[in-house]
Formats: sequence, structure tokens, C-alpha cells
Amino acid sequence: MEKGTILEVKNLKVYYKTIAGDAKVVDDVTFSVYHGEIFGIAGESGCGKSTLVEGVYRIVKPPGYIAGGEVLFEGVDLLKLSEEEMRDIRWKKMAYIPQGAMSSLNPVLRVEEQMIDAILDHSNISKEEALEIAKKSLSELGLPEVVLRMYPHELSGGMKQRVIIATAYALRPDLIIADEPVTALDVVSTREVLQTLRELRDKYGATVMLVAHDMAVHAEIDDRLAVMYAGKVIEIGSVTDIFYDPLHPYTKGLIDSIPSIAKKKLIRGIPGIAPSPLNWPSGCRFHPRCPYARDICKAEEPELKEVKPDHLVACHLYGGD
Amino acid sequence: MSRVRNSSKIVVSLKRVIGILGKNNKLKIGSSIFLALLVIGYISPYINRLRLGDKRPDALAVGRRWEQPSVKFPLGTDDYGRDIFGMLLIGTMYSLSIGLLAGAIATLIAVTIGFISGYKGGITDHVLRTFTDTLMVVPLWPIYMVIATYTRKLPLETVAILLGIFSWPGAARVIRAQVLSLRERAFVKLAKLNMLNDLEIVFTELLPNVAPYIAIGFINSAMGAIFAETGLRLIGIGPPLLPTLGYLLSITIGVGMLSVRPYVVAAVVAVLSLIFVSLNLINIGLEEEFNPRLKKVTGL
Amino acid sequence: MKPLQKYLLKRVAAYIVTLYGAVTAVFFLFRLIPGNPIEAFIGQIMATQFTQAELARKLVEQYKAEFGLEGDLFTQYVNYMRQLLRGNFGVSLYGFPRSAQELIFQSLPWTIGLLGLSAVISWFFGVVLGALTAWKRESKVGAVLAGLAIVFSQIPYYIIAVTLVLVFSYMLGWLPATGAYDPSLSPGLNIQFILSVIKYGLLPALSLVLTQAFGWFLSTRYLTISLLGEDFLVYAEAKGIKQSRLFRRYVFRNILLPQTTGLGISLGFMIGGQIVLETIFAYPGMGYLFSRALGMLDYNLISGILILQSFVVLTANLILDLVYPLIDPRVKYHE
Repeated sequence: MEKGTILEVKNLKVYYKTIAGDAKVVDDVTFSVYHGEIFGIAGESGCGKSTLVEGVYRIVKPPGYIAGGEVLFEGVDLLKLSEEEMRDIRWKKMAYIPQGAMSSLNPVLRVEEQMIDAILDHSNISKEEALEIAKKSLSELGLPEVVLRMYPHELSGGMKQRVIIATAYALRPDLIIADEPVTALDVVSTREVLQTLRELRDKYGATVMLVAHDMAVHAEIDDRLAVMYAGKVIEIGSVTDIFYDPLHPYTKGLIDSIPSIAKKKLIRGIPGIAPSPLNWPSGCRFHPRCPYARDICKAEEPELKEVKPDHLVACHLYGGD
Repeated sequence: MSRVRNSSKIVVSLKRVIGILGKNNKLKIGSSIFLALLVIGYISPYINRLRLGDKRPDALAVGRRWEQPSVKFPLGTDDYGRDIFGMLLIGTMYSLSIGLLAGAIATLIAVTIGFISGYKGGITDHVLRTFTDTLMVVPLWPIYMVIATYTRKLPLETVAILLGIFSWPGAARVIRAQVLSLRERAFVKLAKLNMLNDLEIVFTELLPNVAPYIAIGFINSAMGAIFAETGLRLIGIGPPLLPTLGYLLSITIGVGMLSVRPYVVAAVVAVLSLIFVSLNLINIGLEEEFNPRLKKVTGL
Repeated sequence: MKPLQKYLLKRVAAYIVTLYGAVTAVFFLFRLIPGNPIEAFIGQIMATQFTQAELARKLVEQYKAEFGLEGDLFTQYVNYMRQLLRGNFGVSLYGFPRSAQELIFQSLPWTIGLLGLSAVISWFFGVVLGALTAWKRESKVGAVLAGLAIVFSQIPYYIIAVTLVLVFSYMLGWLPATGAYDPSLSPGLNIQFILSVIKYGLLPALSLVLTQAFGWFLSTRYLTISLLGEDFLVYAEAKGIKQSRLFRRYVFRNILLPQTTGLGISLGFMIGGQIVLETIFAYPGMGYLFSRALGMLDYNLISGILILQSFVVLTANLILDLVYPLIDPRVKYHE
């Protein structure tokens, strides 16, 4: 394991049992996340990003199941831990911000209870101290103390999201996994949330894994990112590499489809529709929609190879031909 | 949108329904049992004719008194000489008929009132709703009890109609709630834009979506009617001449029968239990199909 | 608190209107049934005591006045309402010369005791077991209980009662089949009497509990299952909260609300007693009283019981409606 790597995902497979067979939603994914960086996971809806983080955090629910691979967190394979051991790591070392924070809060409990119950269950801190921590976390995110006594339905979407982030960071975990944290928010709230995430990295040295389908978000705060398509990672690199020098045709397509105020350009979509996890295309899964597809693309799946320093891509256009 | 498209839409939903019915275990088992009971019930007059000739099983002295169970009288006869087994067979038919008829009537009323109330809204809704709520609170079956006690001859249809009339408020509420929530949905507004008149909207857009609740309401009403008739008949309240299972049950728990042939009760209890269990299975099966999250129950 | 006041006003007004409607309905429904109970009653007395027509006529007039049956229907109605506001249900035919309310309040404790206790016990076991077994997803116990529940929850309680009586009274002779207590004992607050009440109440209560408990079990189970897919539960699990806290505060709290409301409503309805149950066991509760009253067309007693039931149900509903927003933070007073 390299120095400074906090999370190493190796050949992770998460499948869903369906009547029509296994849906291979996450199919052999490998990547590494370094200490203190913001690592993004990008891709269309349905490419497996959310399932990927569910697998990493081990909250995959039936009919999904982890079909193989390793998830090395600070050297320990999470997939081999018992539920109790896993629960121990959760929140103290690794926290999770779910997709759809709007519905993630228990409607019949006050905010303060939901913020401190994780703290209480993971340490010997007294209730008063836990409340203090909660208050502090809230103020760090710009939320007033009165929020504590409120019920979730009394808060706006942006506030709820910030409460969730505050709760996630209350115990100062080393890694925070955020699944589409800003998708349902307005522009102002989005900015605040992204700012907070950045601060978590800068001031507290936290590592953030950020899943989002909006490339603009990735461009804004990622240090490095991985691009997923059809259950596989097809490109990994620093944010500058990916955005200024995208290698994979799919990545190029994604970036081309971002509207820009600065330049007038023709917005292109990516032709075709996303394939179904029950029936991934043969060979390189992008070949039906790829403008550069060749015979080998249909036959053989390309491997993820380091084509430039710290820039990996899985495409037959590069490396060795 | 042409009318042809609308009718084919109904056909498609019907096909889908039948497809669903084939897959759910509970539905399959429940429907099979119920269907079997129905068939047995309705061919029972013929079976009895084979066994007893022209005599009805509940005719006095159709056999000798206190006959031991035999091939001719599988459950023996009582102290009036009535054929218990034959009564069990036609009792099934009578009880099921009451249930189905009452269920149909209750559902008809519930659907009409529920739809008018939910769709029209406004004053009509208010009035109808207060009316329904009042009826839910004042139990109407005492009226049934009184009528049944004071009139000698009540035909099966009347009994069913009375029971049906007394059980519609519950289903009406549910249907109204559904119609209310559906009315504001986009596809209804779309239909309105397409110049469909109200009646068409009700039949083609709303009904298919409310159908599951109507079906479940029907089964509930039917079960309720059989429950009420059987229970009241058990304590002697009900039209005296209808040979329902409730009547049979009251005979078999008479002190004489209970001490001489206690196991005969078991047969009647078994048949009644099958009726309720099968209907319940169908009910639960339907609920599972239309609320798929419930299917996550492991084991069943 | 303007909207609150508006809501309260509307709700109480609706309550009064419905109550009035119910009381009126009860009045008219029974008077419209053909048959003159007084004459039948008098006829009985005449047959055993008086034979003079003149005396009989005077007696009929007197009784009509007593029972509030003189004058036309409208006059009767006005008198009836007037008496009602004084809490007077009138004189009972069945228990003549005692008043209807006297008989009712004598039978009430038996009904509340038997039905109330059964309802609460069933509710408690059904809800707790239903939630727990659904919470542990792979629970075999849960699946078995669910199967039993599907069978037992909808089989009429009287069928179970009949079976229980057959087995425990006739075949085994362990428990009595009728009555509320040993007839040789006189009611009193002593151990003997109390034990007797328990012994006699066992079979009726069991018939009720078996069906109701399974009913609550099933509904709670489905409620919990639909809760299991909710986002906030996934998130709470992600936080690594202890399982016990997860169950108590996140699952149970959420199902408690609807289930408690359900209990309240069903308790409201049981005031009228269970006619079939009480008749089978000759249990001296409201249901038994009601069937006797019906048999004699004892208007006052019949309407008294029905009005009491309507009143309790409507009031229970009102209280629940008003209290619910206080317990469920999501619901606000609105119309």
C-alpha cells in the first residue's frame, strides 16, 4: 500500500439479484484515495456510483450483495469485518452523507437527538458534552443553535443537508463519503455546502469522497476524480488532467456537455442511451456509443492503465497500440 | 385521443391484472381454495339430489334421528333427522352467496358515493362525507337484527342487501381518499386537456388506479357480511329458514349434539375457517401486489 | 393562534352535528319498525294478572307516558331529546321498573373489563412482537407468526370461541362455558370472587385475544416493513447507531403513532359490547343486555346503548383528533 493512501478499493463487485439474473451494477472497480484530498466519482445516473459507495461503506441492502473484492481502509479490509467491528469504524473513522438528505432525518425526533445519538453510541461522552459538540458543528456550518430543538420538517432542504454534514463531521472522522450532497439544492446552498467540504479538507485535514453526476461540481472542488461508466471505472486522474486533457471518449463527451459562460460552444450530448446492468455490452462497454470504436473495442475489455503520471484510463486508444 | 385507444388501455390493464394474479403465492392459494369452496357450494344441490333424492337436507326427518355417521350420512343426522353433511354443503352455498351479494352491493354503493364525493368535491363532498361518517358511528346491524327477528320469512337476497347496505361506509371512505389524491395528478389533468368528459375520465383514468382498493373493499365487505350473518345466526338472530353455515353451527353446538357427536362441530368450523382464510389470503395477496414494498417479508 | 381556534371550532362543531345526527338516527330508526312493544308487554301482564279491558287501557296509557311513547312521533322526539340532556335514557322494558341507564351502568364494567383488557393485551403483544420480528429481517419466528396471523386474524372470534369451549369445557372440563363468575359466589372484593372472575373470563378473553393479537401483529408487521426501506433508517444505520437505539427511537416510535390511534378507535367501538361473544358465554355485559333489549323491542334500552356507543366513539375520535398533532410533530392543526 502506498504512503498516504487512506482508502484502497480493489476489484470491488456489487451485484443485485433479480428475477432476470444478477445485475452487475458495480463490476470490478479499482481505485485509491489519498489522505487529505477531495476525491470525486463522476458518471451518469445509473452507472453505479451510489452503489459503489454503499459497497465501500457496507450498507448494501438486499437484493444487492457484495460479490467480491477488497476495500482497504487504513490497511484494514472492511469487507472482512464483523458487523460490530464495522459499526465501530462507522462515524468515528468513516462517515457517510447519503443521497437525499431531505428524507434522511427521522421525522419524529428532534434534530439534536439525531445529531448526538451517533456520538453517544460511539464514545463515553456525556449527553451535555455531545450537545456542545453538536452546537459547535452547527455553527461551523452557519446554522443557529435554535435548530437543535427543531423537527426536521421545519427546516429547509439546504439546512437539512448542512445538519447532516455537521453530524457527519461531529466526531472528526478521517474519511467522509458524500453521495450527491448538492444535487437537490439551490445554487446558494450548493455553494455553502461545497465551501464547507473544502474547509473540512483545509482546516481539519479530512479526506472527502464525493459522488456527483454534475461535472461542474467536480470541477469546482475535486482534487482527483474517477469517472465511472456502466459499472466500471474508465478514467482516473487529477482534476486538471481530466478537464483539460480528457483521454477517454466518454469523459470527453461528459466535459463537452457542460455549458460554459466563458466560451460559446456547441453543447453536445453523448449519442445513444445508457446500457442496462443486466446486459452490459461486450468488450469495452462504451463501444456502442463511441465515435472512435474499432473491432477490438467490441471484442476485448480494456484494462485500466496508467498512461500518463497519475492519469489512468481504460481505453484501447491508448497504451500499446 | 380516440376512444379506441381508451378501450384498449382498459384491456391492457386487465391483462396486466391477470398476469399479476398468476404470480403471487398467496393469491394463488387463496383463490384456489375459495374457488373450490364456491364450486362445491354451487353444485351441492346436485350432489344432495344424488344422495337424498328430492328431499332437502334440512327437511325434518330426511333421515332417521341421531343416525351414526355412515356412507349415506357422512356426518350423521341430528335429533330432527336432518342430514348434517348435506346441510354443510348447501350451507356453504348460502353463506358464500350472502357474502358475495352483500359485498357486491356494498361495493357498488361505496364506489358510487366515494367517486362522487372525491371527484366532485365542494358541498357535495362535505354533505356526503358527513353522511358517511355518521353512518360509520351508528351501527346499522341492530336494524338487521330487529328486522330478522320480527319477520318470519326473509329471502337470501334481502338478507344480503341489508348486510351490504350496512357495510359500505368504510370502503367509501377509502375510495374517496384515493379518488381525491388521484384527481390532482398530472395524468388526470392531461385527460381533461384532451377534452375527455368526466365520465370518460372516471372510467378510463381513475377506475384502473382505484381498482385495487375496490377489490380489497369488496372482499372486506363480503367477509364482513359472512361474519355478521354467521355470528348472529349462531345466537339465534336471523331469518329462520335460510340454511346457512351459521345456522348449522348453531345446531352443532346444541348441548345434545355437542355431547353425542362433538366432532361434527369440527367439520363446520373447518369449512368456515377455510372461507375466511382463503378470502384473507386473497386480500393480503392483493395488497402485496399493489404495495410491492410489503413483499420484502421473508418466508411467506 | 388564529388557525388553531378556527380548526377547534370547526372540529367541535362537526362533532356536535354528527352526535346530534347519530342520536336522531337512533331515535327514528327504531320507532319506525312496526310492532308495539308496550302492547305486547301489557299483553303478557294481562295474561297473568288482569283481564279487564278498561284497566288494561289505562295501564297502556300510563306506561306509554312512562316510556315516552305518548303523542305523535314528533312530540316523542322532543321529549326524548329533553330527557337525554338530563342523562335520562328512560325506563327499561326489559328490566322494568328499573331505568335503562341503571341497567347499562351495571353491565358496563363487565364489558369494559373483558373487552378492554383483551383489547389492551392483544394490542400490546401484537404490536411489540410484530415490530420486533419484522425488524429482525430474517426472523423465522416472524414468518411463522405471520403465517398463523393470516389464518387467525380473520377467523371470526366466535368460531374460535366455539372450538375453545369444545376443547376446554366439554372435552377437558377445565374451564366453565358460561357466566362471568361462579354463581354460588356473591360479588365482592375478595380473592375468591376475583379468582372466579378470572377463571370464567378466560375462555371469552382468549377467543378475543387470539384474533385481535394476530390482527395487530400483522398490521404492525406490515407497517414496520414499509418503514424498513425508508431513507432515514438507512442513514441512521450508516451512523452506526446501536441496534437497540435504532429499534426503539427510529422504528418503534414511528409505528407507535398510528397503532395507538388505532387502539383508541377500537376501544371506542367496544363500548357497545360484543353481542355474539357475550351471548355465547352468557356474559352479563353490554352486548348481552343489547340482545335482550332487542328481543323485547325495549326502545329505551336499545337507544340508550346505541347512543352511549355513538357518544363514546365520537368523543374518542374527537380527543384523538385534537391530541394527535401534539404527539406527531409533523401534523399541524389544519383543515
